[in-house]
Amino acid sequence: MKNLFEKLSGSQKLAAAAILLGLFAAFAGDPFDNTYTKINTKEIALDAMNNSDKVDVRELAEWLIEAKADFRLIDLRTEEKFNEYFIPSAANIQPAELMNANLMRNEKIVLYADENTTAAQAWFLLKSKDYKAVYILEGGLDMWKDKVLFPKLASDADAEEKMEFAKFSEVSKFFGGMPQTGLEEIDKAEQKLPELKLPASTTLDIPKKKKKREGC
Amino acid sequence: MNAPFYKFGFFSFDVSLIVAFVIGIGFGFMLERGGFGNARILAAQFYFTNMRVLKVMFTAIVTAMIGIFYLSLIGWVDLSLVYLSDTYIVPQVIGGLILGFGFVIGGYCPGTSFVSLATGRYDGLVFALGVVAGIFVFGELFPYISDFFYSTPMGKVRLNEWLGVSYGMIVLAVVLMALGAFAAAEWGEKVMAKKNGGVIE
Repeated sequence: MKNLFEKLSGSQKLAAAAILLGLFAAFAGDPFDNTYTKINTKEIALDAMNNSDKVDVRELAEWLIEAKADFRLIDLRTEEKFNEYFIPSAANIQPAELMNANLMRNEKIVLYADENTTAAQAWFLLKSKDYKAVYILEGGLDMWKDKVLFPKLASDADAEEKMEFAKFSEVSKFFGGMPQTGLEEIDKAEQKLPELKLPASTTLDIPKKKKKREGC
Repeated sequence: MNAPFYKFGFFSFDVSLIVAFVIGIGFGFMLERGGFGNARILAAQFYFTNMRVLKVMFTAIVTAMIGIFYLSLIGWVDLSLVYLSDTYIVPQVIGGLILGFGFVIGGYCPGTSFVSLATGRYDGLVFALGVVAGIFVFGELFPYISDFFYSTPMGKVRLNEWLGVSYGMIVLAVVLMALGAFAAAEWGEKVMAKKNGGVIE
C-alpha cells in the first residue's frame, strides 16, 4: 500500500484525492438544507432583555420626517390590512416569506405588525439566521395609531404635557393623522386612517446593479 | 464567521470593490503563471496539441466545487446567498459559440487578453481593444436583440435541480468527468505530438 502511494505521481495523488472527496460528497447530504440553524441564545436573550431591539413609534416618526433611508420598514400583516393602511415606506412581507425576501443581513430592519407578538416572532426568526440589526416597532401599528396618528391630550394635563402634545400634533398632521383634544371619549371607529398617498410603499426589489458577468 | 462575507455584512459595498480588485489581480497573476498570457498556448487547445486550458480550467472548477461543497456542508458558506446568474439557454449557447469563435481567431478570451496586455504583448492590446469595441457595439444593438437575449428563461437553475439528483451526485459526476477529460487530453496530446513529429507544444 505504501509502495503504491509512492509510485503515484503528484497529479495522480491529486486525482485520487478528488475521487475520494467526490465519492464522499455523493453521500454527504444536502448543503442547501439550511432550515436547521444554530443560534446564540445568550446574545438573543441579552438583546431582548435590555430592550436594545426596540424602536419607539415616535422615534420612527422622526426618522420618517427626516427622510432617513438607512433602514427598511417591514409590515408583517396580511395583504388586505396592508392595503388599507401602512406606515409610509413600509414593505409588506408575510412572516413565512421573510427568509426569501431579499433582505440584506447588514441593513437595519424594523418590523411591525398590529401588536408586538408577530413582530417578536419574526424578529427571532431573523436573529436566528444571523441578521444583525433587527428591531421591533414597540407596540406595533396599534401604538403608532395611539401615539402618532391620534395622540390624545388628557383632560387633566399639565403644562409640560400640553407642550409635548403640541409638538406631537404637528407630527400627527404630517402623517395625516388627527390629534385628539376633546374631553369626551372619542369612538375608535370614527378615527379614520389617513388615505394612502402613493408612492408611499416600497417593494423589496433591490435596485438592480449591473449584472456581473462571469467568464475566463 | 460565515461566507459570503459581503452578504453577511462583514464589509461595505465600497470595500467589496477593493476586495474584488485584489482577487482580480490575483486571478490575473495565476492565469499568467499558468501560461495563459500566451495566445499560442491558448489557441493550441483548439488544435488538440496542448490541452493546458482544459486542464487548468477543469482543475479550478473541481477545486472550487469541492471546496464550496464541503464548506457549505459544515456551515461556513451559505450557498443560498452565493450569486448565481439566470439561465437563458438558447441565447447563452449561441453567445458561447460566438465567444468560442473569437477565442480561436484571436487566441484569447476576454480575461486572458488583459493578462497578456499586462505583460506587454501587442496582440493582447489589439484583442483588448476589440473586446471594448465589441462591448460598445453590443450595447448599442442591445435594444434590438433584448427580446432574444431574454428568451428561453430557466431562472436560477442548478444542474442537480434540473436533473433531479442530489447535489453530491453532481459533485462526483463532475469530478469523474474532469478526470476523464484529463486522461483524454493527455492521450490526445500524445497522438497529436506523434502526428506532428514528436513535439509537444
